[in-house]
Amino acid sequence: MAVATGSVRSAFSLNGHESPTVGPLLFDQYRLHPSAWDELFNRGGNPHDYCGALVDRLGRLHVTEFDNRRASADLAFVNQGVTFSVYADQRGVEKIFPFDLIPRPIPATEWATLEKGLEQRITALNKFLDDIYHDQRILKEKVIPEDLALGSKGFRKEMVGFRPPGGVYVHICGTDLIRDAAGNFVVLEDNGRTPSGVSYVLENRAVMKKVFPHLFQDIRVKRVEDYPHRLRDALASVAPEGAGSPPCVVVLSPGQYNSAYFEHSFLARHMGVELVFGPDLFVHDDVVYLKTTRGPQRVDVIYRRLDDDFLDPEAFRPDSLLGVPGLFRAYKAGNVTLANAVGTGVCDDKAVYPYVEDMIRFYLDGAEPILKNVPTYICARPDDLKYTLDHLEELVVKAVNESGGYGMLMGPSSTAAQRAEFAAKIRDNPRNYIAQPVVTLSTVPTWTDEGPAPRHVDLRPYIITGKSTWVLPGGLTRTALVKGSLVVNSSQGGGSKDTWVLEGR
Amino acid sequence: MISRVAEHCFWLARYLERAENVARVLDVNHTLLLDFHVPAEQQWKPILIITGLHDYPHEPTAENVQEYMTWDEKNPFSITSSMYWARENARIIREVISGEMWERINYYHLWLKADAREVYDTNRHEFYAQVKRINHLVHGIADATMSHGEAWEFFKLGTYLERASQTARIMDVKYHTLLPKVEDVGTPVDNAHWLAILMSCSGYEPFHKKPKSVPMEPGAAVAEFLLYDAEFPRSIRRCVWECEGAAEAAAGNPVGREPTAAERQIRELLDWFDSRTSADIMRDGLHEALTHIVDSVIKIGNAVHASFFAAEVKPPPRPRAAMSQSQS
Repeated sequence: MAVATGSVRSAFSLNGHESPTVGPLLFDQYRLHPSAWDELFNRGGNPHDYCGALVDRLGRLHVTEFDNRRASADLAFVNQGVTFSVYADQRGVEKIFPFDLIPRPIPATEWATLEKGLEQRITALNKFLDDIYHDQRILKEKVIPEDLALGSKGFRKEMVGFRPPGGVYVHICGTDLIRDAAGNFVVLEDNGRTPSGVSYVLENRAVMKKVFPHLFQDIRVKRVEDYPHRLRDALASVAPEGAGSPPCVVVLSPGQYNSAYFEHSFLARHMGVELVFGPDLFVHDDVVYLKTTRGPQRVDVIYRRLDDDFLDPEAFRPDSLLGVPGLFRAYKAGNVTLANAVGTGVCDDKAVYPYVEDMIRFYLDGAEPILKNVPTYICARPDDLKYTLDHLEELVVKAVNESGGYGMLMGPSSTAAQRAEFAAKIRDNPRNYIAQPVVTLSTVPTWTDEGPAPRHVDLRPYIITGKSTWVLPGGLTRTALVKGSLVVNSSQGGGSKDTWVLEGR
Repeated sequence: MISRVAEHCFWLARYLERAENVARVLDVNHTLLLDFHVPAEQQWKPILIITGLHDYPHEPTAENVQEYMTWDEKNPFSITSSMYWARENARIIREVISGEMWERINYYHLWLKADAREVYDTNRHEFYAQVKRINHLVHGIADATMSHGEAWEFFKLGTYLERASQTARIMDVKYHTLLPKVEDVGTPVDNAHWLAILMSCSGYEPFHKKPKSVPMEPGAAVAEFLLYDAEFPRSIRRCVWECEGAAEAAAGNPVGREPTAAERQIRELLDWFDSRTSADIMRDGLHEALTHIVDSVIKIGNAVHASFFAAEVKPPPRPRAAMSQSQS
């Protein structure tokens, strides 16, 4: 099925003049996916009404010209070293996170709903964390099984009775959304520990503006560039008592060999704060200091990009050299803010996630969840376990504490041997697994060797919470680059797209 | 600034400077003595010796030595190694250097991995010229786009310290280029060597614009120029003097401040220079003097490390918010 590219030819072209290039136009040979929701075209092959202008402008590009621009965008990423590292050898191989130039639009009205839904969700998650480390009302009233919550690997008993400065637990949340075949956004999971990817959102936008300046002049897209300042302000707003004015905020990275080092550096650069490694910090009298060329300097807020386990060898893993001895003591003494707080992994647990809708009703006076979860089977529950084992071929099975697409079984594309192996693992440790029906993720035209073709995407918006909550308009659209694949993680060879929250309408 | 970050600034500059100087020496040596029949061993072995490599396992032919000093990743002094480490230091402190600086450094890192080999194979001189330009470009960009604050002072400190050492090492080529007989001093070959050394330090024109204190001895005049000239940015005393300024600025300048170990060590080398003349040095042995300078630079490097990068941390006695805890 051919896709309409708009019937009226205007004098407009992306260069400001008609391109002399011949050959097919960008969307001439685009064929919709047989069952997925397409983010640009309706089932009739016409653009959705909110993105007519975008499709019209892009659709006037010839395939060859588009490919030239794609090459120049790629070069920009290479030259700027916009990379993530792959743990292959000692020096670390840096790879470009593949970027696709066809943006993924979201209409303003739909975004407004998502934004409200995400705010509602993060409010409930923060209340849940506060509750779980204090009164545990939600467990006492049996909304969530106690052993499930307290048995989570992310639950930190050291946090019981402690309230972080400002009362915020998850300062930065990346909630993964997908759009099902009917076009509804549903939540796949919440990343409440150290979600990454936001640097690519900002870098993608910067490159898009260089490559398609005219598109931005004609189509109003919400700005994403405020993110670093919003983040810095939010972090400063929850600085501990006695902090300097302004508070000293730092980004703590495990070091230059970490896969997300580019992002750590990017955020520090754009927030205008120091990027530090564990050995740059020390704790004295329960206060955290930075080692500078002119002596120690007090640190008030740490945006830490390493997991709880590695934060403090005195409190957690003694073998870790990445963290800061005594940091947790300083935290418990109320002298430093950690973002995200210690112990947020309990809400990041994939077996706790199915209860978020209940948390919303429980903590927000019976409010109905604006965003729905993907139906989830928790293998810790006997009925769910049986269903999962009986229907492995139809389900996606995930280990509850893994991320990056690791520890996963994609039922429909699995072999009998893989299913047998997974069944054994699940029986062995049911608490460690959940299962979800396969959702046919929506598609967006994505450049491939054969021209634009539908590829599945998800969406990770970023939600920042300090004294108030702010949602980055858009987020990271991740694309599965392999035909038919539903796995979009960068560590699994996925790419990304610019997400356009359109103004107006 | 963070001690570790200061150290990366310092080493970024040192590696860039080192790559440039290796390219200089290789380039000049490549075209040196085309008119004179000097055995290859005599011409190329000194290059290895001055970088401190006494156990080079292969025949020191022109191609072997150039290959080793340009491309060998296992050779820590090769151009590729220096550029790799320069870029790695830059990558770690991208939040400190300017974006434009980073992009240039990254660009040349990619260039060395891709197109550079072809330039090297087809136009050797152009290749070396390009490598030299990298450092010039980065310094120009840094000057124009980076804040001239503390990070900048460490960048300068690294540049001048490395350059002082490199000029000394380049001059020492003369000692290791085995002149068979004392009578050869002042011969055309001897003079050509000195000229080559001058060119390796980019000092040909500035030198010839200067009135000479020893006009009849080109060797002594070149040595004086490269050791003492106050205006030439690659003369060793000038480099050490620049180090002094950068170290003072990096340490901050409140009145009555105790000088850091780094400043004291730099001062010691400056005093050494000022307590003798170029003629004294030539009389007592240039090689010995250059060895003293190279050793002093190493001492200064260690003192810089101790003063700024690994300074003993003395926490303030009464932290603000922790007071109530520590009193209870």
